[in-house]
Amino acid sequence: MTGSVDLADFLPAYLAEAEELLGAAHRHLLAVEASVRRGLAHPRAVRELFRALHTIKGLSAMVDVEPIVSIAHWMETSLRLADRAGGRLPEASVEPLMEGLREIEGRVRQLAAGKQAAPVPAGLLERLEALETAASGTGPTKPASAALDLDAALSSRLSTAEREQLTAGAASGKRAVRLDFVPSAERAASGITINSVRERVAKLAETVKVLPLSGPAAGGSSLTFALLLLTDAGDDALLEAAGGPPGSVRSLASAPAAPAPARAPSEPELEAVASRVDDEPEEQRRGGGTLRVEVSRLDEAMERLAALVVNRSRLTRAVAALTAAGAPTRELTAILQENGRQLRDMRAAIIRLRMVKVADVLERLPLLVRGLRRSTGKQVRLELEVGDAELDKAVADRLLPALVHLVRNAVDHALESPEERLAAGKPEEGVVRLITHGAASGLLELCVIDDGRGVDARAVAARAGVPIPTTQDALLEVLCRPGFSTRDAADATSGRGMGMDIVRRITVDQLGGELRLETKPGAGTTFRLRVPLTITLLDALVFECAGLRYAVAVGSVEELIDVDPAKLVRPAGASGVVLVERRGSAVPVLSLERLLGREGPDGRNGAGVKALIVRQRGEPVAFAVDRLLGQQEIVLRTLEDPLVRVPGVAGATDLGDGQPTLVLDLAALGAARSGNSRRRESVPGRERAT
Amino acid sequence: MPEVLVVDDSKVMRDMVVACLRPYPGLTFTHASSGLEAIERLSLQPYDLLVLDLNMPDIGGIEVVEFVRGQDRLRNLPIIIVTTRGDEASRARALAVGANRFMTKPFTPDAILGEARALLEEKRG
Repeated sequence: MTGSVDLADFLPAYLAEAEELLGAAHRHLLAVEASVRRGLAHPRAVRELFRALHTIKGLSAMVDVEPIVSIAHWMETSLRLADRAGGRLPEASVEPLMEGLREIEGRVRQLAAGKQAAPVPAGLLERLEALETAASGTGPTKPASAALDLDAALSSRLSTAEREQLTAGAASGKRAVRLDFVPSAERAASGITINSVRERVAKLAETVKVLPLSGPAAGGSSLTFALLLLTDAGDDALLEAAGGPPGSVRSLASAPAAPAPARAPSEPELEAVASRVDDEPEEQRRGGGTLRVEVSRLDEAMERLAALVVNRSRLTRAVAALTAAGAPTRELTAILQENGRQLRDMRAAIIRLRMVKVADVLERLPLLVRGLRRSTGKQVRLELEVGDAELDKAVADRLLPALVHLVRNAVDHALESPEERLAAGKPEEGVVRLITHGAASGLLELCVIDDGRGVDARAVAARAGVPIPTTQDALLEVLCRPGFSTRDAADATSGRGMGMDIVRRITVDQLGGELRLETKPGAGTTFRLRVPLTITLLDALVFECAGLRYAVAVGSVEELIDVDPAKLVRPAGASGVVLVERRGSAVPVLSLERLLGREGPDGRNGAGVKALIVRQRGEPVAFAVDRLLGQQEIVLRTLEDPLVRVPGVAGATDLGDGQPTLVLDLAALGAARSGNSRRRESVPGRERAT
Repeated sequence: MPEVLVVDDSKVMRDMVVACLRPYPGLTFTHASSGLEAIERLSLQPYDLLVLDLNMPDIGGIEVVEFVRGQDRLRNLPIIIVTTRGDEASRARALAVGANRFMTKPFTPDAILGEARALLEEKRG
């Protein structure tokens, strides 16, 4: 019998794993670079970088991608030398290694696009080979002065770098401990395995080495894993992480033998990268225990679910008709309700499958900032505070270019040169922060914050040839004009570059989210983006206006109010403005009829029966509608054709009767209209974004 | 049913190994993504064949082989090393500590299937 497998069938899986490994390799190399700049060794990051490249090389050999094998091989060679030098890498090595990673990445992309991988670029292998000499020139690090209480059997199984890591950690004030974990079949059955223990311990300590020890162990086992750790955690917490007795904890160093060295200047951006290397459980990094699924398969599951949702709407309508005709439908109605619950649960489950960690989506930003630091000569630190926030893959993919744009603009234009910053009494190093907050139901807020020069409204106005905007919203409006650029004329004073229209198009038009600006001259700028967690399946309010049916996401509506036409206020002198009173404050009413260009001959202005309250740039606005038809789950189909894509229309849906229904984004619709208030409103679909 | 433990930190590589060995009738497969996990599994249940990568996190394949050969119970477990390290020193070291076969990536499906068949049949006697 012969093997009938064709290893080329593994190409899609290879590409996915190679992307993942390259992401890890970039993180590790950035961590190594951060250490190099501080004159420190980072043995673990060097080893992890080596391992990522080694795996890429092996996989590439299996699927026969020779150029990647060659590049990875020569990068590996220089890293092996760095590992032997205790994790020290000459500074000059970082750039060629970055170049190597970029070249591998380029070839992975070529393969993903169905092309052949290009040959190795001229001179790269020579540059990488030359690193060997540079790396071999570095000697091993000096041993730190803390004494370790390790028995000979354990000590002999540690590499020089690992022993140094333990002693240096102990010398800097951490506790060096040995935590024993004794595996058993019972423990494995209840999920306590070396992998799960490693993961739990990683939250409490830096794992230097794990050694398997054979021989009689506590509890009748014949195997013990000794985890050698550096930690600030207490014994009880560590023991609990190892599943409790028969495990044990013992100290490896009595007390620091040398005073803790002064802390080097902190670099939170790269620290964060470095700590991910050290702290992230191995299983998480390599996707152990998880299943990698192609997005197209998830899309297919969503499509099937969409069909079920539409069908359920038809069923609901049919049952309602039967009930109206006097048929006994009690049981049918109960089944329908149960079916509704099951569909909602299934929707939640599929959406969870599609969620990706925001932190993973943003993993290339440190690399972007590194490149900008070099190209602009500015000192800048990127701080990512995104926690465990997650987003639908489709939203994340669309959002990333907007965030890249904002971060690039912040470094390119908002941050001053080191000299300017010093002159302004600021630290030389500028800070760009990207933070997330969970916002109201179904929304995620992301802020890109810089401590640069702030946006100069006067310069922006001069550049755009408009009056000086008096509010931040008006200023954002000017910045988001298509093609608006402050780059050539007023770079030093305006603080913003081109492309803000792209950011707004993605955030507001494509994702139905919100974009806001807060800026203070001399102090910095914050861009606040609120985006929906998912854009495909949502709960919607269905209503009627001027004889047509529309839907709007429930999450975007703050409140639903009755409108008594007799109580509408039309302030004197403010032509056309109508206000409605809501809990003691006046809220402007916009006529949807009018906004949609379907105003009847009677010209009722804001005289609907109901109104939907929506936040528009932080302020409440009421949209008058004729009749509410109810709430239901809908499948949003985005309008991909740019010719039919209009601000304020998030997409279309089928409510179950086969008739397409527009799904409105009221905040964007109102904003787009108020921006063009001097023009006669036209029918959506005939207007292009301006 | 012969049980095979496939150890590699790359999931794609484990899947490739399993796909290559699948034509051998009746094999069942267990995956381990690190040397530590492999040692834990080997201590908890018997296997008929170990397919092992050399370069892995925490402890490498050589240390796994040393551990296995240090256990009476596992002394005769057939071990195939599959590695990207094709140098003679690595091969000599792996065979010296007790690996039965040493295969360099890239290997062909037929080659690894042939080695697995020979070892399993030798073990069965």
